[in-house]
Amino acid sequence: MIARFAILRPVIALFWSARRGMLLAGAVLAVTTVLAGIGLLGVSGWFITATAIAGLLPATAYAFDVFAPSAAIRLLALARTAARYGERMTTHEATLSVLAALREKLFRGFAAPQAAKSLEARPARLLNRLTADIDALDSLYLRVLVPAAVAILAAIATGFGLAFLHPMAGILAASFLIVAGLGISARAALRAEKFSRRRAIGLEALRARTTDLVSGQTELLTTGRLSAQVAAVKRADDYLSACDDSLNRIETNAGFSFGVSAAVLLSAALLGMAWLAEQGAVSAPAAALGLLVCFAALEPFTALRRGAMELGRTLFSARRIAPRLSATVEGRCPVLPVSGMAAKLEDVHLEREGNDNPVLTNINLAIAAGERVAIIGPSGAGKTSLIQLLAGELQPAAGTVSALPSTLMTQRSQLFRDSIADNLRLAKPAATSNELWDALTAAGLAEHVKSLAAGLETRLGEAGQGLSGGQSRRLALARFLLADRPLWLLDEVTEGLDGETARDVLTRLFARAEGNTVVMITHNRREAEFAERIIVLKEGRQFDECQSGAPEYGVVLKTLRPD
Amino acid sequence: MSMSVEIRQGADGEGAVCPAPAVVSRDAMGRRKANRKTSRDRADGRAKMTGAPVVGRSVALLHVLAALLWLPQAGLLAFSVGRIAGGAPMMAIVPAAAAVLILGLVKAWLEKMAARLSFRAARAALSQRRLEALQAVAKVSPLDLSRTASGEAAGVLAEAAEALVPYLSRFQPARMKATIIPLVFVLAILPFTWIAALVLLLAMPTIPLFMALIGWQAKAASEKQLAETGNMNAFLLDRLRGLETIRTLKAVNLTAERLSVDAQNLKKRTMAVLRIAFLSSAVLELFAALGVAMTAVYIGFHLLGFLDFGAWGHKLTLAEGLFILLLAPAFFEPLRELSAVWHDRAAGEAALDALGKLTAGGATIAGEGADVASVPSPTPGLLEINNLSFAYPSAPPVIENLNLTVQQGERVAILGSSGCGKSTVLSLIAGLAEAGEGSIRIGGVKLDHATADGLRRTIGWVSQRPFFFAGSLKANIRFGRSGVSDGMVEETLRRTGLDELGHARRHLQIGDGGYGVSGGEAVRLAIARAFADPATQLVLADEPTAHLDRETAALVTDNLLQLANGRTLIVATHDPVLAARMDRIVDMTAIHSRGQP
Repeated sequence: MIARFAILRPVIALFWSARRGMLLAGAVLAVTTVLAGIGLLGVSGWFITATAIAGLLPATAYAFDVFAPSAAIRLLALARTAARYGERMTTHEATLSVLAALREKLFRGFAAPQAAKSLEARPARLLNRLTADIDALDSLYLRVLVPAAVAILAAIATGFGLAFLHPMAGILAASFLIVAGLGISARAALRAEKFSRRRAIGLEALRARTTDLVSGQTELLTTGRLSAQVAAVKRADDYLSACDDSLNRIETNAGFSFGVSAAVLLSAALLGMAWLAEQGAVSAPAAALGLLVCFAALEPFTALRRGAMELGRTLFSARRIAPRLSATVEGRCPVLPVSGMAAKLEDVHLEREGNDNPVLTNINLAIAAGERVAIIGPSGAGKTSLIQLLAGELQPAAGTVSALPSTLMTQRSQLFRDSIADNLRLAKPAATSNELWDALTAAGLAEHVKSLAAGLETRLGEAGQGLSGGQSRRLALARFLLADRPLWLLDEVTEGLDGETARDVLTRLFARAEGNTVVMITHNRREAEFAERIIVLKEGRQFDECQSGAPEYGVVLKTLRPD
Repeated sequence: MSMSVEIRQGADGEGAVCPAPAVVSRDAMGRRKANRKTSRDRADGRAKMTGAPVVGRSVALLHVLAALLWLPQAGLLAFSVGRIAGGAPMMAIVPAAAAVLILGLVKAWLEKMAARLSFRAARAALSQRRLEALQAVAKVSPLDLSRTASGEAAGVLAEAAEALVPYLSRFQPARMKATIIPLVFVLAILPFTWIAALVLLLAMPTIPLFMALIGWQAKAASEKQLAETGNMNAFLLDRLRGLETIRTLKAVNLTAERLSVDAQNLKKRTMAVLRIAFLSSAVLELFAALGVAMTAVYIGFHLLGFLDFGAWGHKLTLAEGLFILLLAPAFFEPLRELSAVWHDRAAGEAALDALGKLTAGGATIAGEGADVASVPSPTPGLLEINNLSFAYPSAPPVIENLNLTVQQGERVAILGSSGCGKSTVLSLIAGLAEAGEGSIRIGGVKLDHATADGLRRTIGWVSQRPFFFAGSLKANIRFGRSGVSDGMVEETLRRTGLDELGHARRHLQIGDGGYGVSGGEAVRLAIARAFADPATQLVLADEPTAHLDRETAALVTDNLLQLANGRTLIVATHDPVLAARMDRIVDMTAIHSRGQP
């Protein structure tokens, strides 16, 4: 059973390294709040009982020291309020701190070379799963760890306090509180984990099937499968409903157990105090104190019940995320080639999982520095994989790859929700304003950015929203130019642009390409025209090759799309 | 209820030949009887959706009853302490202790029952609303530009809707408890002391007042700020989407540090807002704690004889004093609970609104989308379009008075640049929207609301960017159709030359959005899918060679022609090479200027 909780260790270790002091402060304040509450009720009960007895005779009434207890009561009330405020402030600040640490660690974990592969196949699904898991871990500290700490410490303090009345009372009360509190919570959490897992799966299925329903509506309609898809979504909801019901049953059972424990504790405390009073071991006011302390000590139970269910969810999420929290592996850059060469592939074989045929076979390619090469071929011929080998993103199954440091310009402009300046500075963090404007001018975007109210500081939306397709591409180009590495890898960089914009982008790009080696993947003529050498790939093999000036160069160009 | 439809300019600036926008009134949309009825239904649906409390009052009362059981328990405890102070032996206390135990067990059981019942009612309501929204979404026409995007619809139906359960199951009982319990407790104390009752009674409305004064607003602002922590997620996800670029720019460290700094800043801003928000809940805590404290101090002084007022002229006994003390914290508990579930309410209302918006829907498809038997047709494969017109609301007609007849087995290309309505024609033939004017007859049967589903059995569709679900290649071809056997799938794959692909990729699943197949392969697979069903008589292909290189485009065209094989084929395209290989070309731009094909 302990083993199942051990999955939380990397997460807690991360928390611990992030804001140890604040985490502890939050827990301490939380315990203080509960203890102040216990103290308040306990002293009040004692006070009323003592004054009732003293008040029977005027003599004892006047002799009674009212001020100390009544001052203590008021002090405890204020202390409780202040502690509660402090607790909420520190625990929330601590939570926000560990949130930040968690996300940073996760990002690094995902940014390792092959880790992102799984993201490519199912980006939407994985990102949603990630959000849900992070949210679950966010509440680990606040909803699980703090209540657990409070329950244990409050139980110990209660036992300690009651021990002054009678050691046995203290020990029994403390043990009962800890066993009941933690035992019920742990059991509920472990049983909830299974259903949390099922629930997450069900929710993902519901989401995926709904997405399919909407994106594939036309196909589903024209194949007569629309109502079947609706039924499938309904089934996912039914499954979810069953999981939810089980989780609710676990939660209400835990609540019932806590209620029973509370009832047992109260009646046992009443009897115990009565017995002690009968034995003369405690006075009546002390008995009242003991009883009310036990009553007040039940306060952590509510938070524990919620925490138990939260823990079930967290255990499951931790299981999914924990692998990503371990140390990252830095990407391996390809070996540098001999001087004068920009890239060299020798006898390279590349395989991809799930594909019987190798992606690339027997590739032998030598690209000189300053050369401009175009790689063409039908879809699925392995062009993108070749580029990724040069970039160091993939490792060959056999053969060697050597290449200069490179930058890749991707097929789709990957811009970020940030200012234009910050998007550019990704390529060169220390870039001066002049350098940024220079890059924008080179890309043909400077006019547009000048016309914007916030200029360079204009914020783009998610995935770079706010610029048109052509403008996005220019911004990506400006960023690419700013990076300024010797080897340029271009992946269908004018795809989806209209003819005029495309030609402009290409002209500007190659105007800056002096001294750089260019390797580009392309499907159309206008891009390939800039290349001195065209390599044709087919089914993972080098099929043909020609130099500009040779007659077959024109022939090969004609096979490409005109515009 | 008006339909909100936006017109967006086409991505490429071509299509200057097509008519410029002018306004068309809604009445010109002719036969919309069926839609008018459903639009009233939608309005009703929306009204039905929001508001109505789902947790029965009897269940909420059960929650209240469980909480009220504290009264007799407190009474027994106080009474027993009084007797202990009077020197009673333990045995005399046993009956009272037993009663406390039994009452506690009953209370726990009642709470459990009440919670279960509330939950079940709330969960059933969630399922029902999900189904309503789902059915509405399934019927929205793909041509309706205000159609909710798949990601958003899924988000609302899946995650956002979940907020309904805590709202419906916890809020109603909490509200009832906060209304009834404090009053009952005040009434219980009143016979013993009017002053304590008065103080508590005054505390009740004062608390929310003070909370509001200090900043219920701040609380709302704080919730918005806390929601901004969602922005941390957004940052992370935004960067994860562009991971390739970040890696190639060697900007991983930079981005990670940025993430950290952003998060720290967010934390600072959030804490500044929370500082005030927590003050307002501190007011509640203060009143609760002081309530107990002041009660205890008053009773203590009163019992000593220093404050001999406030108890109707009598002096309180020890038992009475303790009873009042035991009720004081429980007096404030319901208010605390209500405050805790308050934000469930906001989330729940937002979820109801979002679901209502989905249920309201928009322009609908023809038919129900049900899986029915195909309609018997006198002349299979024959297509007759008469006087067809279609316009988006508040926009000029995209198609006006179109007449077209396609014989069985004919292969026709509808040629035109984007925006000329060629894809719209195909969509209308497939019944993806209801036409404004005119009629479409497929196989001699008129296409309308009643016949659409049956007629669609005989239609195959090829999209520009075909849809695949995450599954095997063959499953994506078969698409779950009972009329398509494995043999037919293999045969079609063989005839399109895709069987090698199928063989090489047989272990590979196609991912969401067609991951794992290239653009050209996707279109060819979609063609195979459209033709695999022997019941298909008419195939509609929407720009199949767009974004493809020459060689792949030729393969696609080959596949189309090979599989057509006596079935009618209509292709919408701006690719002149593809159009040239069809039997007949229908020029949309010419139609627009002349009105005749």
